[in-house]
Amino acid sequence: MSEKFEHSQFAHCESGVVSTLLTHYGLKLSEPMVFGLTSSLSFVFLPIIKLNNMPLIAYRELPKNIINKVSKVLGIEIVKKTYKNGVEANNDLTKFVEDKQLVGLQTSVFYLPYFPKDMRFHFNAHNLLVYGKEGSDYKISDPVFEEAVLCDEKELTRARFAKGVFAPKGFMYYPKNIPTNLDFSSIVKKAIKKNAKSMLTPFPYAGVKGMRTLAKKISKLNPNSDPRYLKNYLTHIVRMQEEIGTGGGGFRFLYAAFLKEVKKYDLDNELLDEASSLLVKSGNTLREFALLCVESSKKIDKFDANKIAEKLVEASKYEEEAFKLLKKIQ
Amino acid sequence: MEKIEVPQEENKTLDGIKKVMYTTDNDGEFKTANYGSSVEEFATQVAVEEYEVLKQESLENIKKGLSSPIEYFMFENRMDLPTLASVVGMFQFRVKRHLKMNNFKKLNDKILSKYAQAFNIKIEELKDFNV
Repeated sequence: MSEKFEHSQFAHCESGVVSTLLTHYGLKLSEPMVFGLTSSLSFVFLPIIKLNNMPLIAYRELPKNIINKVSKVLGIEIVKKTYKNGVEANNDLTKFVEDKQLVGLQTSVFYLPYFPKDMRFHFNAHNLLVYGKEGSDYKISDPVFEEAVLCDEKELTRARFAKGVFAPKGFMYYPKNIPTNLDFSSIVKKAIKKNAKSMLTPFPYAGVKGMRTLAKKISKLNPNSDPRYLKNYLTHIVRMQEEIGTGGGGFRFLYAAFLKEVKKYDLDNELLDEASSLLVKSGNTLREFALLCVESSKKIDKFDANKIAEKLVEASKYEEEAFKLLKKIQ
Repeated sequence: MEKIEVPQEENKTLDGIKKVMYTTDNDGEFKTANYGSSVEEFATQVAVEEYEVLKQESLENIKKGLSSPIEYFMFENRMDLPTLASVVGMFQFRVKRHLKMNNFKKLNDKILSKYAQAFNIKIEELKDFNV
């Protein structure tokens, strides 16, 4: 492993961390490739799971999906460790750092002091890399930030042992054995088909159907109900789309970039271009959808539930079309 | 190829940090670019302000002898009931009781110290809470 580590910025934390880790340990893979190979584009609307009293809405697969699937799909051995307590976890991390070994960590954004105060919420699935230590400060490469940052070990340990939904339990990971001679052409095909299957699932709370279920729920929101609740609900949908993640329909753009990049593996390029274009359309539509949600929360008296719901349905149609094409990829 | 619009608006909640997203260049190749979104800013601000409102409401209720300081610090730490219960390792119905002033007054130091630890404060800040 090379001694020198250079920080780079990414659109999304988990795909960014895994891309950097794999590249660092010898397999050069871009962020869109990592995201696409692990079939991470998704939509989930689970009203029974609550985060700050709001339903769980995700525009990608649930946390840890990329870490878990990258080993399965590429046959990479990934060492994954969780710990009983902070002291043990911190000692082990220091040991890795002293051995100059790059590792990924799962943390809670709320306890990371270098995050701007307004961004610090109890989101427990933020990924970052540790690449060094100076005194009691760890050198951290946080994929969402422009520059590398420092974080005191006490505070980092606290962030690693946050409680609640997706509690990290000190989770640390790094790749060990990376196979060579990977047959990317067949791996890519499988990954795309798998993503098509999950996006087109008949389960009403996921994929294209999940988008429509959320749209239905929005269209049934009563404009005369508590304006505070409406405002919080609508902006929650937007926050799940944007925050920590990537701008607007950012995950759609990330997947569209993946479809473009895999053209080098001798697949049906016309089909890939068309699907990529459709996902860009969906991403743009999701941004308009977010804009409508925000406009309505600013002026609840102008809240037009059907108009917002229709935008989401429009995005879902582009995605349905894209994945129906991708399902057939040869 | 569809164009991707990259918003270049101000987002004060990021404190000067610029995030990146994927977009296409003139040749249709994907690359990352800095963006700033006022939509994102507004959504974050609403969430931040909601906790400020909850804190104010909690202070009013503490004055009336209804809510306990634990409720105030729960909102101060941007937590909801399930998160706080998970942090202190107690059942939600139990924590919910501790959010009421008359139950709070009966709590012993052992329980109070669990909450103080969760909020990263001294136990006195709970006991001698002044509105």
